[in-house]
Amino acid sequence: MSIGSERRRARFAVWGLLLVSVGGVYTVQQARDRHTARLGEMSEVLYIPSGRVLRYLSLGQEGLMADLYWTRVVQYFGRKRLAQAVRFDLLGPLLSIATELDPHLLVAYRYGAVFLAEKLPDGAGQPEAALQLLRRGIVANPDEWRMWVDLGFIYYWDLKDYASAVRVFRAGSERPGAKMWVRTLTASVAAKGGELETSRLLWSEIYRNADNDQIRHSAQEHLVALTAQEEISGLNDVLDAYARQFGQRARSLSDLLGAGYLRVVPQDPSGVAYVVGADGRTRLAPESKVDLKLLQ
Amino acid sequence: MGALRRIATIAHHTFKESVRERVLYNLIVFALLLMGAAILFGSISVGIEQVILVNLGLSSISVFGVLMAIFIGIGLVSKEIERRTLYNILSKPVSRPEFLLGKYCGLLLTLVINTAIMTGGFYLALLYQKRHLEFADLLALEAVYFILLQLALVVGLALLFSCISTPILSAVFTFSVYVIGNFLGDIRWFGQETHSPGVEKLTGVLYYLLPNFSNFNVITRVAHGLAIPGYLLWSNTLYALLYVSILLSGAILIFEEREFR
Repeated sequence: MSIGSERRRARFAVWGLLLVSVGGVYTVQQARDRHTARLGEMSEVLYIPSGRVLRYLSLGQEGLMADLYWTRVVQYFGRKRLAQAVRFDLLGPLLSIATELDPHLLVAYRYGAVFLAEKLPDGAGQPEAALQLLRRGIVANPDEWRMWVDLGFIYYWDLKDYASAVRVFRAGSERPGAKMWVRTLTASVAAKGGELETSRLLWSEIYRNADNDQIRHSAQEHLVALTAQEEISGLNDVLDAYARQFGQRARSLSDLLGAGYLRVVPQDPSGVAYVVGADGRTRLAPESKVDLKLLQ
Repeated sequence: MGALRRIATIAHHTFKESVRERVLYNLIVFALLLMGAAILFGSISVGIEQVILVNLGLSSISVFGVLMAIFIGIGLVSKEIERRTLYNILSKPVSRPEFLLGKYCGLLLTLVINTAIMTGGFYLALLYQKRHLEFADLLALEAVYFILLQLALVVGLALLFSCISTPILSAVFTFSVYVIGNFLGDIRWFGQETHSPGVEKLTGVLYYLLPNFSNFNVITRVAHGLAIPGYLLWSNTLYALLYVSILLSGAILIFEEREFR
């Protein structure tokens, strides 16, 4: 075989390899895209120009850029705190950029929300911005129960919105890996917010599923306190009805008994009779073992 | 067997020549310094000391690896022409494809060894920071493997461009394709958003035609200790192998037609 024809055959082989490889690259890339649904992720990020521009500039090193931005957040917040500043204008945008660059940077969401939500001068006094940041974090990391708890605390401490706090804590307690204390926290906040039924439901659930006696005992005590709280509330209604009928408040529960509102003097769950205080409202007797402070 | 031996010989010489390049050592030292700096940098942040070290360490390996691949890759052919050593080589029983493949393998070997050194530096920095290493830290090796696949593509690009252009232009072309290759997903998305069939088709063609470097970017995932899905390992390996085949085939076809005076 001549050298010329051998070279021609080699060239054909190289062309063949090239064409097969082009087809192969196309097929592999398509298979890969089907797995990652990359375009969907991309469009979400591209809605926010600042993050997009930085991602371009990072040349594929967006994780590193996110770290830099988170560090800038820490430095910025620290400097402002030291200077007792009353404006934290860059805090929100810097946190947005850091979390857009790296949606899994949990510390940026969690600490960042605290920085934003704390009242001035300890923080930026922007609880609504903190809520937004945490909501974005939850969308990007739906199984991170701690972020639900952080979100609940913003509602609880900063916005005093107990109903929302309970809703969020409850959702967090149902995430994989969530600790038992999230449930107890939810139940306590529900009681504090006046949602006694929700609180009772949650404490009953905790009582049933508790994995140690201490938690079970605590749940029982809370359930007892809730029962007492509900009974006190019911007795107060009766006292109000008595006052309406007779034009004066009852001085003891025996008065209600005499007027036919009650058949027996009711006892609290520890077996001690309720009493009427100087203000005309129902109270626990001093010797009662029920602790209503648990609900505060 | 003869061809393989000849390729191995050229690769060996290319490796020896590459390790003599001063720029190589500068880049390695700089990369290792940067990894050391990651420890300091991590200490002024909150809660992400290890994340910073992993991000900065692996990014250094990637960026400096790409720089080495470009700077040395563009001179693979042009230097031989410039010094007229190419004529000596080709006058011996060495075919042009063997010469190119040998050059490619030699530089790739250099980069593998450099990456291994930088990876060693990275793990030393990690050990210094954590005081111990655990099994989960091996996850970074998967990212390093993807960086090597990326470097294999960059060397292929540099070799292809060095067959058709001057060293400076080859560097510009290679770097440009690397940058574009990191944003191919965005380019395609942009095409789809224009709702123009022509632009959509064009960006679609570019998406499959150019090397998709973003496929290999798993550093952020690894920094958070998230496992890399199995399909990424096989699909990226296959993708790199096929794309390197395209680049080397193209380089061979061009180099075969080239006339040297």
